Amino acid sequence: MSLLSLLLPELILIVAASGLLLLGLSNKVASRRLAPVVAMLALIVTFCIQIYRVKAGGGPTQHDTFGGISRDGSIYGTLRIAEFAQYIKLISLGIGILLTLLAWPTNDDATGNSALHFGHDAGEFFALMLLSLTGLLLVAGANDIMLLFLGIELASIPTYIMVSVSRPLPVAQEAGVKYFFLGAFAAAIMLFGFSYLYGTTGATNLYEIMLNLHPKDASGIIDWGTRITLTPWQSLAVLMLVAGFAFKMAVVPLHFYVGDVYQGAATPVTAFLSFVPKASGFVALIKLLFALGGPNWLLPEPIVRANGTGLLWVLAILTMTVGNVLGLLQYNVKRVLAFSSVAHSGYMMAALAALATSQFVSPASNVKTTGLQAVLFYLAAYGIMNIGAFGVLQLLSARDGKDSAETFEDLAGKGRHHVSLALSMAVCCFSLTGIPLTVGFMGKLMIIKPALAAAIAKTPVGMSSVRPAMTWLVVIIMINAAISAAYYLRIVATLFLRSEEHAHPATAPHAAPHPAPRPHPRGHHLADHAHPVDPLFTRHTMPILLAVILSVAGTLLFGMIPSATELLGNGVQSAARIEGDIPQALPGLSDKAVAASK
Amino acid sequence: MQFLQNNLLTLLIFLPTGGAVLTLLAKNRDAARWTALATTLVTLALSLVLLITFKTNFGAVQMVQEGDWIPAFNIKYKVGIDGLSLPLVLLSTFICALAAIASWNIEKMTRGYFALFLFLETGILGTFLAIDFFLFYVFFEVTLLPMYFLIGIWGGPRKEYAAIKFFLYTLVGSIALLIVLIGTHLYTKDAATGLGSFDLVKLPLLIKAAIANGSMSMDVVRWFFVLAMICFLIKVPAVPFHTWLPDAHVEAPTAMSMILAALLLKMGGYGIFRVAYPLFSDAGRELWMIVAFVGVLSILYGALCAMAQTDFKRLVAYSSVSHMGFVVLGAAMMTKTAANGALFMMIAHGITSAMLFFIVGVAYDRAHHREISRFGGLATTMPVYFGLSAIGIFANLGLPGLCGFIGEIMVLLGSFEAAKPGSILIQSGAASTRQIYPFAVSACLGVVLTAAYMLWTIQRVYFGPERAEYRGFKEVDSREQVVLWPLAVMALLLGILPTLFVFSYTDSTVETLFKLFR
Repeated sequence: MSLLSLLLPELILIVAASGLLLLGLSNKVASRRLAPVVAMLALIVTFCIQIYRVKAGGGPTQHDTFGGISRDGSIYGTLRIAEFAQYIKLISLGIGILLTLLAWPTNDDATGNSALHFGHDAGEFFALMLLSLTGLLLVAGANDIMLLFLGIELASIPTYIMVSVSRPLPVAQEAGVKYFFLGAFAAAIMLFGFSYLYGTTGATNLYEIMLNLHPKDASGIIDWGTRITLTPWQSLAVLMLVAGFAFKMAVVPLHFYVGDVYQGAATPVTAFLSFVPKASGFVALIKLLFALGGPNWLLPEPIVRANGTGLLWVLAILTMTVGNVLGLLQYNVKRVLAFSSVAHSGYMMAALAALATSQFVSPASNVKTTGLQAVLFYLAAYGIMNIGAFGVLQLLSARDGKDSAETFEDLAGKGRHHVSLALSMAVCCFSLTGIPLTVGFMGKLMIIKPALAAAIAKTPVGMSSVRPAMTWLVVIIMINAAISAAYYLRIVATLFLRSEEHAHPATAPHAAPHPAPRPHPRGHHLADHAHPVDPLFTRHTMPILLAVILSVAGTLLFGMIPSATELLGNGVQSAARIEGDIPQALPGLSDKAVAASK
Repeated sequence: MQFLQNNLLTLLIFLPTGGAVLTLLAKNRDAARWTALATTLVTLALSLVLLITFKTNFGAVQMVQEGDWIPAFNIKYKVGIDGLSLPLVLLSTFICALAAIASWNIEKMTRGYFALFLFLETGILGTFLAIDFFLFYVFFEVTLLPMYFLIGIWGGPRKEYAAIKFFLYTLVGSIALLIVLIGTHLYTKDAATGLGSFDLVKLPLLIKAAIANGSMSMDVVRWFFVLAMICFLIKVPAVPFHTWLPDAHVEAPTAMSMILAALLLKMGGYGIFRVAYPLFSDAGRELWMIVAFVGVLSILYGALCAMAQTDFKRLVAYSSVSHMGFVVLGAAMMTKTAANGALFMMIAHGITSAMLFFIVGVAYDRAHHREISRFGGLATTMPVYFGLSAIGIFANLGLPGLCGFIGEIMVLLGSFEAAKPGSILIQSGAASTRQIYPFAVSACLGVVLTAAYMLWTIQRVYFGPERAEYRGFKEVDSREQVVLWPLAVMALLLGILPTLFVFSYTDSTVETLFKLFR
């Protein structure tokens, strides 16, 4: 397959983004109205291409020879568009469509909507959005640390700008600056890690790195059955890379920016942040782990230790617990969702931690596949259910009627007047909690399954038992599910059980200062209708409403209707065969080839 | 007709959901009320059809309806009925119909109230009828949501606190059960599909096989038993986990208190007999002492707490804790008599607790408070009310001839039976006679305490001189009588003809259950 057709989705998005940048030069209302349409068309076209490709899948994995060493059309390309990448691209584009709907400029002069005020920058805003999504698609297909890094940065850099332009408030500027500096810092650490990885393995191609890391016998056959030992420099590289990805994934201890940034950004941008950079981090991490462990996922020492604990295990436990406890302490719903996003990263890390122990338990327990499936499923599930929650926040107005809802006080008693919206929020919150009949429950089920399977699996002879570590992991997931229920339930309770008069700001000692009176925004803001949700079905709410409906429908559909769950499950299953086409006895690169690659 | 017979259980489960949708579409309050009442009555009628078609000596699960739900995990939609579930299903439809009448005075968001109410009925019936563990879990947890809203929106002054507490407590239990759910799935292999099983009929045997071939260690069995029991003991609720119950009851509207006490608590008891003991009977035998201790503690502590209450509704709530302790004790003793007694206790308590909560509601509607010390002389003011209350209270305290007596006496007899040489506990060596007696004897003490606080309540609320401020109270009206009379009649009938109403159905199933325990 030619490079052009391999990169078709990315190219379409980049062309559309360039067009949007040009469109942004015009200052007309009509061009601002056109911008989201262009973005949406590009996303829908790429989404359809992706559906077609996933459906047509099953053929040989597509590799590009661009820049890599090509030997017999094998796997050393810069891009590797296998089922894994196709699946990630599919869910990214699908969720990208919903995110575009959330950001649709619906007010009269098309400068934003109930929560978003990008002023005249509609073209630029949507161009950035498409570019960021392109970055995620590239990460999904990257088979080379250069492209991987570029992809991650392409996914991240536009988000820094999006946060700043999303609303003309000091909090947003502060969030943008904070996010930018910390993001740049994380990128530097990541790049440092990549450079060490290159330095210690002599390759930038992920497969070459994998081959060079693993021992080979005299005839050059790679031994995939041995667990490698990293040199200190390699360990350092891995640590720095994990730290860099952890920032993107919002994994503790690199989660600290989440609260301020998620709160400061306009709600549609917050929704964007909670999916796109996070997904790019997870995909990159999976690729790194795969390179370290090989097709049998024999992950080395700092990642996982023989007793089942290790880097991933610690990160998972810290992330879940810290995220949920901090979520419990918040008084701003956006901050709650921010820390819930941290906690959900923790659940996905838990599945990866279980996956890492697969080498120490009997293969019959199937930890390897179920672990990877869980992460991939949860990524989609989290994206689907989370968007609904942000969408409802956008549609409900704040107490002062000027902005969309953010604090618990804003939500108080809204369930009485906007029953359907509040119910949508309830569905999303219950799904995030993991109540049955929602996609969140299926996700939680899949997350617990590998950890529990590892906890109860037989230990092969000569291995130390991972049972205590995995049992604790399961227990901590349980405890966290309960903690998280408390704050999701508080959102639902505020909507339905509290009356508007009873909202007492006095009970919010740590409440973040309410956004200061708006300095006059660029262009008009939406003050022309004080209650943007009254009535519900208006031109001003339609796109956001559509996103909420799609999200809620997806949440229930994937949790309830077997064929839908099966569909997603099958996608996940084929995507989890990440090692699919790697022959177990692949001839390694000869030294000459390594030298040639340098 | 054939269609009805084949789909009877499914129809029974989802009929209320259909009614809920109709209720939401109703034009006004009255239409919503009548739709809801009609739905509950049709459901009740359908459940009576079960009585005719049910084969009493069959033992195993019958009227099974099965279909794939999520084949990738071997999750099935499988419903069926046996002697464990039949009485509870009938109790559910019966109490729900009465609760619909008891809800007649709900004025706030009436349509929403009745819609949630009917969803709740679907959840309850689904829990009792599900034979697939996963399906059971889904229904078990989904009942939380409507109840959460029903307490949280239509409840008393501290409704938000009560609703959240109720939800979180039960959710913690549900998460424990989730571990068991996935764990059993991972340990078992269904012969047909090669996947793990969720079938509650096959699981006991599959788990026994897994223990026998060494793939499942006793440690794991013990842990799973403990986790499952924590879930169900929270729901029952037994003493260390009971604190959500008084709060939920006090804040819940009257009809919801009836359903909570009569049906939702039974989901815990049912889970013990449907999931925890059949699946992990070996662990149940080993850990009998802990379970029995929790049971006896609930009986005594619940009774003492009830005695100390000043709020009428809290008193009834604590009496529920005490009575459900008998169910836990009945399960722990592992004798057929005790198990039958526990199952009967659940039905009897369903009747009496619903009745008592409605009685409290009647008093509250008139006096707008529930302080026992501020009542007095109601027997003179409202004689009919007093008469019906007396039946409920005496049935609750276990007066012979009324339903409460049979359950208590059977559990106690069963407990003493457990101390005999032939019992499962003694035979397996898990217990000695000397260990069992203290539990049985202290449970007897609970009966005395129950009588004490109940009689004291009658004395304080109904007897004494008539109070001036209550003189204007009107007698129970026809709507209230429509709720109270059926309950009173059932309390009496169950007390006189326990075999006809309960034991004829439970006996053969308990027999089957005990084949698993040996």
